[in-house]
Amino acid sequence: MSRKLHKDEEKSVRAKDAKTNTKKKTAKGISDLKSKSDDSRKILHFSPEPGRLQYQALYYADTNDGVPPQTMNIDTTTWRMSVSKVEQTNTGTPLFKIPVSIVTPRKGEAGDVKSAKLCRGFSLTIQTKLHSRLGLEKAASFKMGRTYNEELKYLEKVSANSWKIKKGFVPNMKVEGEFYVNDHLERLMFDELKQACRSGGYGGFLPGMKQIGNVAALPGIVHKSIGLPDVHSGYGFAIGNMAAFDMDDPEAVVSPGGVGFDINCGVRLLRTNLFEKDVLPIKEQLAQSMFDHIPVGVGSKGIIPMGSRDLEEALEMGMDWSLREGYIWAEDKEHCEEYGRMLQADPSKVSMRAKKRGLPQLGTLGAGNHYAEIQVVDEIFDTFAARKMGIEEKGQVCVMIHCGSRGLGHQVATDALVAMEKAMKRDKIEVNDRQLACARINSQEGQDYLKSMAGAANYAWVNRSSMTFLCRQSFAKMFNSTPDDLDMHVIYDVSHNIAKVEEHFVGGKQRTLLVHRKGSTRAFPPHHPLIPVDYQLTGQPVLIGGTMGTCSYVLTGTDRGMEETFGSTCHGAGRALSRAKSRRNLDYMDVLKALEDQGISIRVASPKLVMEEAPESYKNVTDVVNTCHDAGISKKCIKLRPIAVIKG
Amino acid sequence: MFRRKLLSLDFTNPNKFNYSDESQYRNLIIWIEDQKIRHYKIDDRKELRDICSGEWQKSFKKYLDDLECPHDPTNRTATLDWLLGYAVRLEYGDKVNDPDFKAGVTSLASLLQIPPHADHLTQLKAICILVKERLSKDALDKLKKEGIKHAESVSLDRVELGFETSDYITTEAAKILRMLHIKELRDLQNSANQAIVLVQQVTANPKTDTKLGKVGRS
Repeated sequence: MSRKLHKDEEKSVRAKDAKTNTKKKTAKGISDLKSKSDDSRKILHFSPEPGRLQYQALYYADTNDGVPPQTMNIDTTTWRMSVSKVEQTNTGTPLFKIPVSIVTPRKGEAGDVKSAKLCRGFSLTIQTKLHSRLGLEKAASFKMGRTYNEELKYLEKVSANSWKIKKGFVPNMKVEGEFYVNDHLERLMFDELKQACRSGGYGGFLPGMKQIGNVAALPGIVHKSIGLPDVHSGYGFAIGNMAAFDMDDPEAVVSPGGVGFDINCGVRLLRTNLFEKDVLPIKEQLAQSMFDHIPVGVGSKGIIPMGSRDLEEALEMGMDWSLREGYIWAEDKEHCEEYGRMLQADPSKVSMRAKKRGLPQLGTLGAGNHYAEIQVVDEIFDTFAARKMGIEEKGQVCVMIHCGSRGLGHQVATDALVAMEKAMKRDKIEVNDRQLACARINSQEGQDYLKSMAGAANYAWVNRSSMTFLCRQSFAKMFNSTPDDLDMHVIYDVSHNIAKVEEHFVGGKQRTLLVHRKGSTRAFPPHHPLIPVDYQLTGQPVLIGGTMGTCSYVLTGTDRGMEETFGSTCHGAGRALSRAKSRRNLDYMDVLKALEDQGISIRVASPKLVMEEAPESYKNVTDVVNTCHDAGISKKCIKLRPIAVIKG
Repeated sequence: MFRRKLLSLDFTNPNKFNYSDESQYRNLIIWIEDQKIRHYKIDDRKELRDICSGEWQKSFKKYLDDLECPHDPTNRTATLDWLLGYAVRLEYGDKVNDPDFKAGVTSLASLLQIPPHADHLTQLKAICILVKERLSKDALDKLKKEGIKHAESVSLDRVELGFETSDYITTEAAKILRMLHIKELRDLQNSANQAIVLVQQVTANPKTDTKLGKVGRS
């Protein structure tokens, strides 16, 4: 019997014939592993006979982590192996024993294990080379992961709307995970996990639950890694994930994956004193006018003139730049998260490449899921809060702008990821997923990222401000009035891709945390000092943009949300189908037709990308919002329905 | 205008008084000084009494200065309102402890739904604030300008305190403090906004020509 040993990402994996006396061999196995950890030439050999073969795999895992995989079974059709029983062999050594049994696939076939590694999603992959009867070689790989039913043991329903992810669901979890769902969203989440178990994690995608778990394994995380109801698989962090890191813990990290590529992507809502009946007769003209005013599409350029000096200033000043130049109103700043400016921004930390990408795009909507919509108030759930926002009656017309930091934010994130990969090696930071590149908050890389991220956030606010200006111009022209007389005030402006330093109570003590919100919106409760005076009694307005053609919502923050999710809630619908899948399954003509049938005017710069954003590709926003409402982490206030959509 | 104040001063025919009539106006001024304010000795009122004199404006200005009136005589309504108010204060100032007056305050308070208070003067202050901020011409104009149809009042039951206290009274008191704090914050924010607007007038430079607005991909 030959053995194979392989080292990958600081974790050793060992597969060994277990036909022999297991107990005796185990102790020896450990010493073997220690003494011969560099011996990677020895390979595991498959028996040419079909049947059951027992193997034993040993690999490192953190003993503090709790329980590793429980059982391992073999699926003869897919060649998947899973762990059958795990014993901790030595409490002092971070080592577990995993007996493996493999059934050879076909008579006469034999295989050599080429490599074995512990990989994403807590599964063990063994690469093999098979020899068929005819002497042909073919490569195959085994993946040892837990079965769906085994995974379920790590999940526990804690309330009607939330599930707990227990430690051990993925390795090294420092805290538990939690996610919010209703019945329908629950099914989607578990289906995703089931699918991932079935495929053994192939295809490079990790289910949202695993990503939430992997985030819970990052150094310095406090409280919980939280998945909001719209959670779906993203780069490193799931989109719809909130995670907070202790600023006083020197090990604590900041991760660009926890913010996302579209830094400070967010939603702004403007109100008007117009009603649906005022707008309907000229809806098409208004939509066209908005489309003409707002630069949209992949390669669109801004029409607000900007030089490179303006860009530097905009990166530093955020909405204060727009104010200074006179594009927006003083009240706009008041009704914006962070007052539209992150003070720690440092334009010199934003690379030339990022600036080059950002300069021509300032004041543009971009493509993807970004849009400007003319909406009408469809339902008011909380008249008091709605009145505070200047929303008096159903039918009132609003404008929603959803956009971010365009190519500049993307480049800032990319630059940081590159820098952080090096920092991780230097500082020996271990993560479960390579996409979770991060750096200690106090390291040079961490600080550089936070400063450049703040710059990109400022850029996004200038962007939304420029678009506010253009929308106001467009409305004023169409209605032969002034934006002032049309009462086009900003109700609020939220960021749903950002990391911010905030004060929160953890176990009754006030702590300073770096809160990552990716696809998650801040939702502070009434009387919080960081929300505008007008919303002190209602709680912060939370703007939830629907997808093209579906409803949008305004929620308000609650005390319960402050405690449970550090004042965070959902951000939108959340993808249910991947972009590629949407393109395959849907026809853009059908999508456009469906919108037309609903009486929604639509102007799109790139119609062929429309199906990526079709409502069918997303989770139902009403489900998502209702879950947040029922779980009490935010409260429904207003429902809005689109009558015209302008899209990239 | 001024009808109620004139009535309370027992001015004859307050309904017919027209303050924009120069002679009526000047006569009223001297009537107020003669009958109510009596700031000057009778002999010193001579110049003010000479309402036909070309120098009257000058004497009037001096009179106002002597009274330390904060308004300029050119702003006739404000000046007259102040003078009448001053007269009313002198006329009734020593009657604030009359049972009639107290009863008046109480009935006014119940009319305006202001909770009772042991000290009727404090109560009167509350009434003043309410009238000034909710019912005065300025306040109503402001609401109109902001497009608010009616001023809303927030019931304390509707307000969440955000923390817990041991008893009901403390909770209510804390809620009231919250509300006062919010009002102060609003005033502060308004001043900040005003300052920004002033600065904007100097710095603003929107060079954008929205006519150039083009559809993407260009």
